Amino acid sequence: MSIPSVLRAQTAPTDARTVRMVMGDLSTFDPIVTTATMTGNHGLAIYDMLFSLDSKLIPQPQMVGKWAVSDDKKAYTFELRDGLGWHDGTPVTATDCVASIRRWGQVPSGGKLIMERASDISAQDDKTFIISLKEPMGLLIEILAGAVTPVLYIMREKDASLAATEQVTANIGSGPFKFNHALAKPGASFTYDRNEKYVPRHEPTDGFAGGKVVNVDRVIWENITDQQTAFAALQAGEVDFHLLPPADLYPAIESDTNLALQVLNKAGDVYFMRMNCLQKPFDNVKARQAMLHLIDQEAFMRTSFPAEYTRTITSFFGNQTPYTNDENTGWYKKGGDQEKAKQLVKEAGYAGEKVVILQRTDWAEAGNCAQLLAVTLRKIGVNAELAPGDSALNGARLRNKGSVENDGWSIFITSESDYERSTTLSNPTLTANGEQGWWGWPQSDEYEALRAKWANVETLEERQALAREMQRIQWDIAGTVLLGSVLSPIARRKTLTGLIEMPSLTAMWNMQKVPA
Amino acid sequence: MAAYILRRFVSTIAVMAMVGIFIFLLLRLAPGDPAAMIAGRNAAPQLIASIREQLGLNDPIPVQFMRWVRDILGGDFGTSIFAGRPVLELISQRLEPTLSLAILTMILSVTVGVSFGILAAWRTGGLVDRLLAAFSAVGYSVPVFVIGYFLIYFFAIRTHWLPVQGYVPFNQGLGPWFVHLILPTVALGLGYIAFVARVTRASMLEVLSEDYMRTAAAKGASSYAMLFQHALKNAGVPILTVIGISFAYLIGGVVLTETVFNLPGIGRLVVNAINNRDYPIIQSVLILTSGLYVLINLAVDLAYTLIDPRIRY
Repeated sequence: MSIPSVLRAQTAPTDARTVRMVMGDLSTFDPIVTTATMTGNHGLAIYDMLFSLDSKLIPQPQMVGKWAVSDDKKAYTFELRDGLGWHDGTPVTATDCVASIRRWGQVPSGGKLIMERASDISAQDDKTFIISLKEPMGLLIEILAGAVTPVLYIMREKDASLAATEQVTANIGSGPFKFNHALAKPGASFTYDRNEKYVPRHEPTDGFAGGKVVNVDRVIWENITDQQTAFAALQAGEVDFHLLPPADLYPAIESDTNLALQVLNKAGDVYFMRMNCLQKPFDNVKARQAMLHLIDQEAFMRTSFPAEYTRTITSFFGNQTPYTNDENTGWYKKGGDQEKAKQLVKEAGYAGEKVVILQRTDWAEAGNCAQLLAVTLRKIGVNAELAPGDSALNGARLRNKGSVENDGWSIFITSESDYERSTTLSNPTLTANGEQGWWGWPQSDEYEALRAKWANVETLEERQALAREMQRIQWDIAGTVLLGSVLSPIARRKTLTGLIEMPSLTAMWNMQKVPA
Repeated sequence: MAAYILRRFVSTIAVMAMVGIFIFLLLRLAPGDPAAMIAGRNAAPQLIASIREQLGLNDPIPVQFMRWVRDILGGDFGTSIFAGRPVLELISQRLEPTLSLAILTMILSVTVGVSFGILAAWRTGGLVDRLLAAFSAVGYSVPVFVIGYFLIYFFAIRTHWLPVQGYVPFNQGLGPWFVHLILPTVALGLGYIAFVARVTRASMLEVLSEDYMRTAAAKGASSYAMLFQHALKNAGVPILTVIGISFAYLIGGVVLTETVFNLPGIGRLVVNAINNRDYPIIQSVLILTSGLYVLINLAVDLAYTLIDPRIRY
């Protein structure tokens, strides 16, 4: 159709050196102060890491050039590679790394463990620093390389000197992209410019490891909150990438010859629910075990996702991690087992107490699962009630350990990447340390004792054996109940290629736009 | 007149103070935790507790309130809990898209709506009048997001005449700025056109039935003179009132349009802030919006004196 040229000029697709990505809201800049995935993605763009995971999830040196461990395995020496510099033009030094480790070490449990075990973390010269341990710690490098938020991103010493709860907003890193402050519109869009001074490693890109080669000049994150508009913008070529297209748009995306769906996180995300183990009825382990038997994972995943993108899951440690196993998974039955669940609820002495399920109103998939859960619970005679609320409302209510009569809660639903379920030392959702632990507060001293051994064992086989034992306990105490696994694809224009397929976070290097 | 304006300004400050107290208490007493939002979905409880302490959210509400009042009186509207940037900077960044959309929508609504209303009143029961009735029904009843999707489908996806979404600042060129606002303006404007047209028609019909209009007609006044020199001026007060209210409502009510067309305006800023419980942004936007409402009402009241000499303050 012929159109006025002035209009045509304004609706042309984005240029070949700029990639526009619909990513969601980046509300917090500091990747240490939050576990938010968007902040993790932001960190991945502007900061660099000492070690990074390759596509097989094996740590590889990134900022580190050479490293060595002493014969007694208590002292690790790291030497930074050449060419590392901050976006403000100053060089990256070992002192920056030490300060960053110390700040990060206050937040995730893996970092805390390093700080507990470390007798000294100090710079030897501008490029060398050491971590001295009181006792050997076989998993040190794995913890430093972890991609579970909060990730150990290296910051300038002056930023890393802030308290771990005080936000760093300078956004000056040494990574392959520079944050463009002038074009930042919080809540709307953020712009990342290629760091032309970044020196990539010589190895080819491999997962988050290898050379971080940036093939575009600029990446713009758009926060298009309306999914239909985001899809229309993708169709029209106004954006190139959509991180989380809703499943009901998959057929429309697949039918458009210019668009493609691509699963970047091949292992997927795990949906699970937690019960309040401190209050009735889930203070009784049999009531929690009833939930294991009750759940029809396929039905729960069908509430939001097409069958070809979902998987059932029985291992506490995820579907595709080195620690996936089948220990104590006899509870699983295709379609669920309502009779068994009903029997266990009865054995738990359930007397009609109200069960309050927190239902997310700003997260459709979790909200759908909550609705199905309420219906399923009512079918076995449980007095289930939904409590709708947004993230902030649920977040405040989760803190309440009290009964539902006192505004407490019984069940909530969340998700995390399959990979995260293998990060036993860093992930709070994998703890069972009672009221000191994560929401739901399941407790097993035996499990925690095994978890404490995790960092000490030397070999993968030993950790796999530990994982089997830990899983046996977890499915006995049933603090967590799995709802299924989903492979959420991103949507992209076919002209955007080279996306890195990794779990948890989305990298922006390596991608490029090719002519249509 | 000067005394009247002074009194209104003083009352504006009083209104803003009351809004401020109400909003502060509402936000603090309503459930929700910005610390949990900052820390993220699967954060450890200890981290959330530390952030609450860091943000001063554990302080007693009166202490938090006095701290906020002290800052406001000092001209400091605070810093976004999340973005870490001054609230006024964020608001000024978002003001242009919202004002651009509101002004263009008002221009469209007033020019088309008033013209449509005059024509419908002049030819009551005729084709234009019936068209206005039909148009008004559609304009009132179809939600703005439905109109928005419809416009996007035809003018952006099918024909590629106009962009789907986004905003280009005015200083980057009049053409791109205007082109990105055409669809949002039309989507938002349809309801307002219907509203202004209906009020104009009703007001004009009332005036046209007055004795002096018959006298003017008997004296041979032209249609133009009757409509624009006699009728419209006398029908102007209710029309002006509606325009003023509409503009004020537009400033605070464009959030759906901003969402559908991905315009980074005030509406989205405040909705985002509400979702995150970013208290400083919510408080500041609502206080400033309430002040704007009062000032627009004052401007409308003063404008009455221009079109009706009988009105004096």
